[in-house]
Amino acid sequence: MTGAGRRSQTQEMVNMIILGIETSCDETAAAVVADGRRILSSVVSSQIDIHHPYGGVVPELASRKHIEAIVPVTTEALSKANLDLGQIDGIAVTQGPGLVGALLVGFSFAKGLARVLDIPWQGVNHLEGHLHSVFLGDDPPPIPFAALLASGGHTSIYRVSGVTRFEVLGQTRDDAAGEAFDKVSKMLGLGYPGGGVIGRLAGRGGPERIRFPRAYLDRDRFDFSFSGLKTAVNQYIQRHSEDLADRMADIAAGFQEAVVDVLVEKLFRAAETTGCRHIAVVGGVAANGRLRERLAREGALKGLSVYIPPLDLCGDNAAMIAAIGYHHLWEGRASGMSEDVYSRYKRP
Amino acid sequence: MSRAPVTVATRSPDETRALGRAIGRRARPGAIIALYGDLGSGKTVFVQGMARGLGVPEDCYVTSPTYTLINEYPGRCPLYHVDLYRLAGGGDFEEIGLDDVLYGDGVAAVEWSERLDPDLLGDHLAVHIAAAGGSRREIRMSVHGPGAAILVKDLERSMKEQ
Repeated sequence: MTGAGRRSQTQEMVNMIILGIETSCDETAAAVVADGRRILSSVVSSQIDIHHPYGGVVPELASRKHIEAIVPVTTEALSKANLDLGQIDGIAVTQGPGLVGALLVGFSFAKGLARVLDIPWQGVNHLEGHLHSVFLGDDPPPIPFAALLASGGHTSIYRVSGVTRFEVLGQTRDDAAGEAFDKVSKMLGLGYPGGGVIGRLAGRGGPERIRFPRAYLDRDRFDFSFSGLKTAVNQYIQRHSEDLADRMADIAAGFQEAVVDVLVEKLFRAAETTGCRHIAVVGGVAANGRLRERLAREGALKGLSVYIPPLDLCGDNAAMIAAIGYHHLWEGRASGMSEDVYSRYKRP
Repeated sequence: MSRAPVTVATRSPDETRALGRAIGRRARPGAIIALYGDLGSGKTVFVQGMARGLGVPEDCYVTSPTYTLINEYPGRCPLYHVDLYRLAGGGDFEEIGLDDVLYGDGVAAVEWSERLDPDLLGDHLAVHIAAAGGSRREIRMSVHGPGAAILVKDLERSMKEQ
C-alpha cells in the first residue's frame, strides 16, 4: 500500500459513521455518531410507561417491546441523521451486561444488519458506554479522571486513563444506588422509576432531620453497600406508619442525603488516591440534583473539576454505545459472528 | 412430605448470613431455596451466606439480582441467585431462562418466588424472613419435598451438636 493510500484509509476511519444500538434494559435506543464524537441523531424509546403498573421492568414485556421498537427506532435515527443504511461504516451494539432476552434483540439485529451490509461491527460493554458518555459533552474531562457510574443496576468507581482504558476501583457489594432509590420509592408507595420522584420529594424535606446510616465500609477502599440503608428506611417507615404522610419529604431527603454523602466521599477519595484532578459522574443517578449540587460545591473547595454528561446522555442511550464502539473499531477490534451476549460479567 | 416448620431467631445480619452459610454447606445440586420477606428483610444477606457455604470465593460479591434477575456464582456447584421482584407474575418465565436454573445442576435461591406458580418450584425449602425488632429476624423454614426434608434434617442435627 502506498503512503497516500494509507492516509486516505486513515481519513476514512476518522470520518467513520457508526450506528449504535442499545437494548440492555428499559430503553430501545439507536443513534448515529460521526468520528466517535459528533452525535448526528440519538433516539430513545422508553418503556417506562409500560412498566409502571408493575413497579419495575418486566422482562417479558421488555423483550417484546424491544422487538416492536427496534426497527422504527433505528429508522428514525437514520432519518434524523439524513443518512441511509448504505452510508453507515460500522455498527456498535450493547453486548452486556443486562437482561439476556432484551440484549439479544438488539444484538441479533445488529449482527444481522452488519452481515447484510458487510460492514464491521463491535459488541460493547454497557458500562464502558456509560463511562464514555462524558466524552460526548461540550467540555470533556482531560485524562486521567476518576468516574462514578451510578444507575439502577450498577454503582462503581473507575479510574479512566484512556478512551477505552478503565480500571475498576470499587463497586457495590449489594444494591446499586439507583435501585435503592427505586426501592425506597416503592416503600413510600410512590412510582417507578424512583430517582425523579424521591429527588423532588426530598426538595421539600430537611436532609438532616432523619439521620439514616451511611455505609462507608473500609474507608480506604471504594466499595459501596446500600442494603443496610434500605433496611433502615423500611424500619423507619414501619415505625411511623401512622403519620407517614407528614414525614414523607423528610424520609426522602434523609435517605437521599445518606446516598449522596457516601457517593461524594468515595468519589473524591478515589480521585485523590489515584492522582486525578478531574471527576466525572455518569449513569442515571447523575441526574440527581442534590448529587450535582454537592459535587459542584465540594469539588470547588477541593480544587477538583467535575464533569457530568448532558442529561439526555446520563440515562441509557445508543450514542454512548456508538462512540465507544467507534474507538474499539478504530483500535483494530471487531466482533465476529460467533459472539454472544452476556448477562453479568464481561467475558475475558 | 410435610413436617413442622423449623424456626430460627437471628440477632444480626451476620447471624442471618451464618444460617445461610449452613444451608449452603449442606445443599445438594438441584436444591431450590425459595425466599420470602419484605424489602430490606435480609433475603440477599441470607443468600450471601449460602454462597460462602457453597464455596463461592469471598472476593466474588453477591449483589442484588433485582435488575439482572438471575446472577450465577461459581461454587462447588453453581449458585443461581434469582429475584422475581420485577415480574408481575404469570409472565413468560422461559424468557429469562428460569427453567435452566430451577431444573439444572446448581442450587437456586429464589427471591420473591410468590410471583411464581408454586408447582414450578417442585421440591423446595421455603425460607420466610420476618423482622423481629431492630436487626433481629425470625427465620421460618418449611419443607416442601424429600430433598428439602433431608436438608433441614442435616441442619437440625448440626445445630443440636453445637
